[in-house]
Amino acid sequence: MNLSPDQTIILHLWGVPINATIFYTWVVMALLTVVSMLITHNLRPDVPPNRWRTTLEVIVQGIQGQIEEIAQGPSRRLLYFSGTLFLFVAMSNLLLVVPGFEPPTSSLSTTTALAISVLIAVPLFGVSSRGVVGYLKTYLQPSFVMLPFNIISEFSRGISLAIRLYGNIMSGAVIAAILLGIAPFFFPVVMDVLGLLTGMIQAYIFAILATVYISSATAPRTRNQHDKDTP
Amino acid sequence: MSIDWITVAAQIANFLVLVWLLKRFLYRPILDGIDAREAEITARMQEAAQQKAEAAAVEAEYQQKLRALHVAQSEMQEKVRKEAEAQRDALLAEAQQRMEHEHENWQAHLDDEARKYAARLHAAGADALLSLTRKALSDLADETLEARMAHQLVRKIRPMTEELRRAAGQAGAATITSRDPLPPKVQETLTADLTALFPGTSVGFETDTEQAPGLVLRMGGAQVAWSIDSYIDGLDALISDQLARGADLKVQGNGH
Repeated sequence: MNLSPDQTIILHLWGVPINATIFYTWVVMALLTVVSMLITHNLRPDVPPNRWRTTLEVIVQGIQGQIEEIAQGPSRRLLYFSGTLFLFVAMSNLLLVVPGFEPPTSSLSTTTALAISVLIAVPLFGVSSRGVVGYLKTYLQPSFVMLPFNIISEFSRGISLAIRLYGNIMSGAVIAAILLGIAPFFFPVVMDVLGLLTGMIQAYIFAILATVYISSATAPRTRNQHDKDTP
Repeated sequence: MSIDWITVAAQIANFLVLVWLLKRFLYRPILDGIDAREAEITARMQEAAQQKAEAAAVEAEYQQKLRALHVAQSEMQEKVRKEAEAQRDALLAEAQQRMEHEHENWQAHLDDEARKYAARLHAAGADALLSLTRKALSDLADETLEARMAHQLVRKIRPMTEELRRAAGQAGAATITSRDPLPPKVQETLTADLTALFPGTSVGFETDTEQAPGLVLRMGGAQVAWSIDSYIDGLDALISDQLARGADLKVQGNGH
């Protein structure tokens, strides 16, 4: 039984083997990008919004609202990062119901990559917000004795993020595969429904935790900073 | 459960690319669109508020103009009413004046007609009286009216001979005027009687169609006349009295 899609080679590009994790990641990326392009390509102020644009606006504003609640203020950069995390994980988990699709999030490599991204993003956002010295000072709080614990805490966050997401998605996929062998007509449907639910919850939790980590490393934001953040 | 670090690196790169792609094709267009729409809505609301304020100002101005118009209309109506009343009063006064003038004209015409009628009646009465008197004298006394008038004149002159002589002075001429030419016999009789009363006086005869029937003697500045005017006046009074009685009886008859 193949527990990770990393070991499944789908195709070779210029002699480079492309495993299922990367391939299906590209599929999710292509889907998200194409759908976004199709909906937003004729987005002009003089064109009234259609239902697809309204749907995207609801999703984006929902994500933005959650981020503003956590980060105590608007931040477009945080929206780009955490929103993409949520949409990528959610879309990967949603496509679990497509026969033959292996969600990239069921690969520990993917969840590790996302966790590393969060680990890198936290100091970057922190430095961007507080400056290098200000950010490094947070490791000495409440006192310098806490420095090793803060460093361990920083790394354990990433590991917990990666393992949590991987464990949930991979376990769902594995349980679905096992039940498919035992009772092929009923349980897989129920497990797929459960998998969708847990997948959406995991996407939400992953993105929320990433936002919490990043926002805890940054200074409290105000509306004025929103303008400076906006590229 | 193993980690493929090449896949990890590739997935980090994929994630960063996805962040850029979604930023380029999803977040920025959607958020910019929302911001633009919010700005447009804010601008429209401000414009609407401004237009509402302008509309309120225009409405207030309109109401003020309307009130002024109503006041002007009332004043104009009052002015027109006063002018109409003045014109009506003027027309009524003019009509009344014209009516009074016409009434005066009519009254004058009536009076003139009455005078003419009275004159005609007077003349007709005189003619009738003369004719009847002449006929009665001729039938009853075989006398002419002119002879009796001459006799009456001489009788009237006789008591005032001295006064007439003084009034005539040294003129020595007497003129007798009648409406119709006197018969020669009457002229002779009168000439003889006057010559007897006023010796040396020459007597002349003249006619005056405007004169009343009768004889008039003029000597110097003195004048003695006998005419039938008094009789004719009595006849007129009699006729008027009879006419008035007839009118009273007619009115009483209509009253019943």
